[in-house]
Amino acid sequence: MTITHILFLVLSVVAVLSAAIVVLNSNPVRNVLLLIVCFFSIAGHYVLLNAQFLAAVHVIVYAGAIMVLFLFVIMLLNLNKESEPHKPAWEKIIAVIAGGIFFVTLVGALKGTDVIVRNASGTSLGDSGIPSPEIGLVESLGKVLFSDFLVPFELSSILFLGAMVGAVMLGKKNIK
Amino acid sequence: MKAILVLSGLGIIALLAELFRFRRVLFPLVLLGLLGAVAAALSYFWFDEGKEWNDTYVKGMLVFDTFSILSSSVIIITGLLWLMMSQSYFKEESSKTDHYALFLFSMAGAVTLTCYNNMTMLFLGIEMLSIPLYVMAGSKKDSLASNEAALKYFLLGAFSTGFLLFGITLIYGATKSFDLPTISTYVTDHAGEIPGLFHAGIVMLLVGLLFKISAAPFHFWAPDVYQGSPTSVTAFMSTVVKTAAVAGFARLFAYPGFMADAAFWGPILAVCVVLTIMVGNVFAAVQNNVKRLLAYSSISHAGFLLLAILSNAPGSVIYYTAAYSLASLAAFAVLGIIMQHSGDDAMERFNGLGKRSPLLAFTLTLALLSMAGIPPTAGFFGKYYVFMQAFASGHAWLVLAGIIGSLIGVYYYFRIIIAMYFKDVPAGAEGSPAANDLQQLVLFITSLGILVLGIMPDLLLNLFK
Repeated sequence: MTITHILFLVLSVVAVLSAAIVVLNSNPVRNVLLLIVCFFSIAGHYVLLNAQFLAAVHVIVYAGAIMVLFLFVIMLLNLNKESEPHKPAWEKIIAVIAGGIFFVTLVGALKGTDVIVRNASGTSLGDSGIPSPEIGLVESLGKVLFSDFLVPFELSSILFLGAMVGAVMLGKKNIK
Repeated sequence: MKAILVLSGLGIIALLAELFRFRRVLFPLVLLGLLGAVAAALSYFWFDEGKEWNDTYVKGMLVFDTFSILSSSVIIITGLLWLMMSQSYFKEESSKTDHYALFLFSMAGAVTLTCYNNMTMLFLGIEMLSIPLYVMAGSKKDSLASNEAALKYFLLGAFSTGFLLFGITLIYGATKSFDLPTISTYVTDHAGEIPGLFHAGIVMLLVGLLFKISAAPFHFWAPDVYQGSPTSVTAFMSTVVKTAAVAGFARLFAYPGFMADAAFWGPILAVCVVLTIMVGNVFAAVQNNVKRLLAYSSISHAGFLLLAILSNAPGSVIYYTAAYSLASLAAFAVLGIIMQHSGDDAMERFNGLGKRSPLLAFTLTLALLSMAGIPPTAGFFGKYYVFMQAFASGHAWLVLAGIIGSLIGVYYYFRIIIAMYFKDVPAGAEGSPAANDLQQLVLFITSLGILVLGIMPDLLLNLFK
C-alpha cells in the first residue's frame, strides 16, 4: 500500500462521511461547514488525480465563494430546526426507493470497468501507465481550451452574458 | 456555425441598443438579422466554411448535415414568427433590450443543439437554451404565478442538468472521449465488452434530456411552468425550445454507437413513449383552462416525437416538429389575443368566437385540427409518418398507444372548436377580439404553412433523401 492509496482511502472516507452527515443532519450551519469539509476532500482527490489547477479552482469557487453565499443566505433567512418544513411519510419512502435504485444502478455500473483499467495502460496514459505530471497544470489546460475546445470556450461567454443579463433584468426595478 | 454567430452577434447588438439609443429600430433590425440567420443556416446546403477553417477552429465540435441544417432552419423560422406575434411581450420599455438579448441568446443555444458533435457542445447548447428561458419565464415580475414558474423551472432544470452532466461523465469514463464520433466508433468496435458505466451514463443522459422535452415521468414541471409564464414565453417554450430539445435528443441517439445500443435504451424509451402519450392526453382532456390544456397537449406531442426518435426517423422528427410548431404558434397567438381581450384563459372565453371574430376562430380551428391530426393538415401527415416508421421498425404496440392517444386528443381539441362555433356568446363577453397587423400576418403564414405542408408533405421530406 503506497502513500497514494492511504491518502485516497482517507479522503474518500472523509468525503462520504461528511456528505452523509450533510444530508442527515438538520442544523443548517453545521451542514454548510461539513459541506466545506466535503469539498476540500474532493479537492484532495483532484490533486491525487494530477489536476492541480482544478483543485485550486474548486477550493476557491466552491469552498470559498459559494459556501460564503450559503452562509449568508442561512443568516439572512434565519433558518433553524423548527422552521424546516415537515415532509409526509410517503414522500420519504418514495425518495428512499428512488435513491436506492439510483445507488444500485451506480454500483452495477462498475461491472466491466476492469476492462477499461486494463486497456488504459499503453494508450492515453503513456507506456508506464502513469499520466504526465503536467496534464493538470494551467498551461496545458489553457492550450487545450484555446485549440481543441475553442468553440465551446467562446460560446460559454455567450452563456455567461445571457446569465448576467438575466440576473440584472430580474434584479432591477420596473421604471414606470 | 454561421447562424450561431449571427444570433449571438444580434444578441450583443440588442444589448448595445440601450446604450446607443436605437431601441426603436431594434425590432426591424432583429427581424432582418433573423432572416439573415435563416439564410446562413440554409447556406450549408451549398457551401460550408471549408476544411481548413473547420480543422483550425471548429475541431469537429459542430457538424452540418441535412438534419442539422433543416432543424436549425425550422427553429429560426419559428423564432422569427414568434417574435412577430409577441410584440406585447417586448412592450415594456425599461427592459426591452434585455428581452431581445435573452431571446436571441436562447435561440443561439437552440441552434447549437441541432448541430453539436461533442458532448461539451450538447451541454452548452442545453444551458444556453435554458438559462435565458428561466429568466423569461419569470419576466412578469409582479405576478406570483410567473415567479413560481421561473423558480420551479430553474430548480428542476438545474437538477436535470446535473443528471445530464453525470451521464456525460460516466460515458467519458467508459469511452475516454467527449467527441461523439469517437464514442460511437469505440462502442461499435468494442461491442460486447462495453462496461456498465456506459449504460448508466445513457440512463442519466436520458433523464436529463427527457426532462428537457417534458416527457413523462419527468413532465411534472411543464403544466405549472407553461401556465405561470407569460403567454408569449409559453408559446416560445412549446415551439422553439421543444424543437431544439427534440432535435438534440434525436441527434444524440442517431449516432451509430448509440443506435447499436438500442436493445438497452429502447425499452426504457418505449415505456416513456406510452406514459407520455397517455399522461399528456388524459390530463389534457380534463382541463378547463386552455393554456393548461395546451401544456398537456404539448407533453403528449413530446410522446409522438419520442416515438419518431425511437424508430430512428430523423425526417419524421423534423416534419413533426415543423407541423407542431406552426400549429402551436397559431394556437398561442389566438390564445394571447383572447387573454388580452378578456383577462383569463378559461374555456368559456372561447364561447361564440366563431361569430365574434370569424377569422381568429378559423385559424385556431385549423391549428387545433392539425394538432389533432385531421387531414388535410400538416399534423395528419406528421402522425402518419411517425406511425409508419414505428411500424417499420417493429413498434406496433407503441403505434396502438399512439392511436388511442390521438383519439383522446381529438376529443379535447374539438371541445374548443365546439365552444367556438356551437356555444352562445355569454352575456358580458361581447366584443370581438382582434389581431394586430403583425399577428394577422403570423396567423396567415402559419395557416398557409399548415395547409401547404399538409397537402405537399414531400416538400420537406424529399430533402431527406
